[in-house]
Amino acid sequence: MRIRRLFKWTRFGIFAVFGLIVLSTSILCIYTVDTELSAEYEVNTQNIAKTIADSSAGILLNQNLATLQSLVDQFLEVQGIRYIYITSETGEFLAHTFVPGIPEEILESEHSNTAPVERSLPGMGDFIEVGSPILAGVAGTVHVGMDLDVVALKIQRAIGQQVYLISVMLLIAVLASIWFVNLAAKPLGELLAYAVELAKDGENDELGERDILARDDEAGHLARLFLHVSRQGGGRGLPAGTSGTE
Amino acid sequence: MQCSLEPEASPDGKWGPLVTRKSVMRSGLAALLVAPFTASALVAGRGQESGGSEAESSDRAEGRGATDEEIVLGVSAAFSGPSRGLGTELYRGAMAYFNHVNENGGIEGRRVSLRLYDDGYQPDPCVQNTMRLMLEDKVFSLFGYVGTPTVTRVLPILKKFQDEKIFLFFPFTGAQPQREPPYGEFAFNLRASYNQETAGLVDNLVQIGRRRIAVFYQIDAYGRSGWAGVRAALDKHGERLAGEATYSRGEKFTGSMRKQVEILQGVAPDAVICIGAYAACAAFARDAVDLGLDVPIANLSFVGSENLLKLLTEGQDDAERYTRQLINSQVVPSYEDTSIPAVQEYRELMARYDPQVPADLVQEEYAPFPHSFGSLEGFLNAKLMGEILRRLGPNPDRAGLEEAIFSIEDFDLGISERVSFGPDRRQGLQSVYHTVVEEGRFVPLDDWGARFG
Repeated sequence: MRIRRLFKWTRFGIFAVFGLIVLSTSILCIYTVDTELSAEYEVNTQNIAKTIADSSAGILLNQNLATLQSLVDQFLEVQGIRYIYITSETGEFLAHTFVPGIPEEILESEHSNTAPVERSLPGMGDFIEVGSPILAGVAGTVHVGMDLDVVALKIQRAIGQQVYLISVMLLIAVLASIWFVNLAAKPLGELLAYAVELAKDGENDELGERDILARDDEAGHLARLFLHVSRQGGGRGLPAGTSGTE
Repeated sequence: MQCSLEPEASPDGKWGPLVTRKSVMRSGLAALLVAPFTASALVAGRGQESGGSEAESSDRAEGRGATDEEIVLGVSAAFSGPSRGLGTELYRGAMAYFNHVNENGGIEGRRVSLRLYDDGYQPDPCVQNTMRLMLEDKVFSLFGYVGTPTVTRVLPILKKFQDEKIFLFFPFTGAQPQREPPYGEFAFNLRASYNQETAGLVDNLVQIGRRRIAVFYQIDAYGRSGWAGVRAALDKHGERLAGEATYSRGEKFTGSMRKQVEILQGVAPDAVICIGAYAACAAFARDAVDLGLDVPIANLSFVGSENLLKLLTEGQDDAERYTRQLINSQVVPSYEDTSIPAVQEYRELMARYDPQVPADLVQEEYAPFPHSFGSLEGFLNAKLMGEILRRLGPNPDRAGLEEAIFSIEDFDLGISERVSFGPDRRQGLQSVYHTVVEEGRFVPLDDWGARFG
């Protein structure tokens, strides 16, 4: 008997609802993680730029450029920081980390600008660059480039983990729903088969000894009711143990 | 009796072999028996501190830095990696002199020993080596460090422990940080500065009409120091840097510098000044010639002239093709000039002792040169250090170091220039020498115009 057809839409509904939950949660998660992490990386980059700017003021005033370069090199070890450069108030490059040379796009940029700007440097990748003025800009500006690929990779990883967790939960929920549906569908199928047999040969004594009649659930009650109706030929009174209100 | 100098890995296994107290003790007694003037004896000499009397240990433990038998100087330098030749040559020259001193009774009866650690010319290992030398080994002073990026990172440590009076003597760098506040008071330099070297090169190049000067430099504190020197020197002539190209520290000769050459070709320079180590500078000179950048290519003393020359000429049919445009700045006179008394002494002691880097520090093959500018500088460093230790008298104490070195005035090291120190004079020599390659060796450059005009 194909009683499970009854639950086809139920299953579809479960899939649809859970799918919608996964999709909406993932989209929200991607948006939140992307926004939050991007903002955090930007803030961190700004903090690094400000730290270098604060640390380099005295060094710059003493024109100790080797120490300035050493300072810059140490910050380059921070994950995601791909380049740092310090320009003087006149736009001269006083320290930087570019190899084999300073990219044209950076040479031609406005060096006193400290607002975050996205850059795509040939051969290097995509970056978000933030700046911080040194002594309010009168001694120069520090620029720090954060590798967007590294940020994107971090975000992808964070999102991937969240989506993975949600997907696993969806799979478990779907499998559970199928199991529960099957649990309900199985006695219903047996009941249907029993009802058909009763309709075909209601006088057969064997039909009064089927397992389904011993069930203490709705399927058992209905089976006993069908047997009673079949035997009574109409339905005068209910068999013992059958309650219509159950 | 066993003399064990087996290398033990550093805690993170990143760099050279370390010597623990256990191995120091094992090697200590043996050191008294083996020849006291060999390189291995130098390393074994480390054991004397642990093998000595309780009073001696106590002296070291209290931070005096010397025992009745030994004065230990701490060295962190490049004995591995692409710049290993620099540390090796400097060490060999210094040991030639210290072996001679030790063979002749030491200083006030004390042997002079070097405790060596390899930093591979990398700042972080150098910082850790320095902490170990100061806090665990309790050396008398730091001596003969190699490189600007390494020394620059060590200077704050010296300031932090300034009460200990542990000074850094004669680092192999001409950078400004150890010559200027806030760290200048913790180091003493013998060699001329990079500012002096770059000024000498720029002045001479400008004088012969080569005013468009570009810089090829190592992108770290060393490169920046030289870059700043060239910039300042050009500024005096009303010129600016024609262009610049960079490379990362640790670059090998097998690497390509074509991009850097192309960048500099774009600015059509009259000359290029390189501020780097020999492997990268040789690669740049090679690629410059191959790509047709036919201008003088100058190098600073740190480059390691003999290693540079070897890389450019080894296996070449037409070696002159790569070397005829080279100008190398030096901070010591030519080791070929045997009319100089110190050079005579250097050559004699190098031949007699032929010091080698202890085997436990050798990770990669390196064939040292019988003579080199680096080893001559190491020799002169050691000679002056020996004089300072002598002036400390029979009870050497770090507290007396400044007084001892400030007493050095018009001291004759055996070269034409005399050496003086004082509270405001922490660099002994000011001279810069220029050399070019002739017949496969560096010789003095007398006439810039005739050669490059």
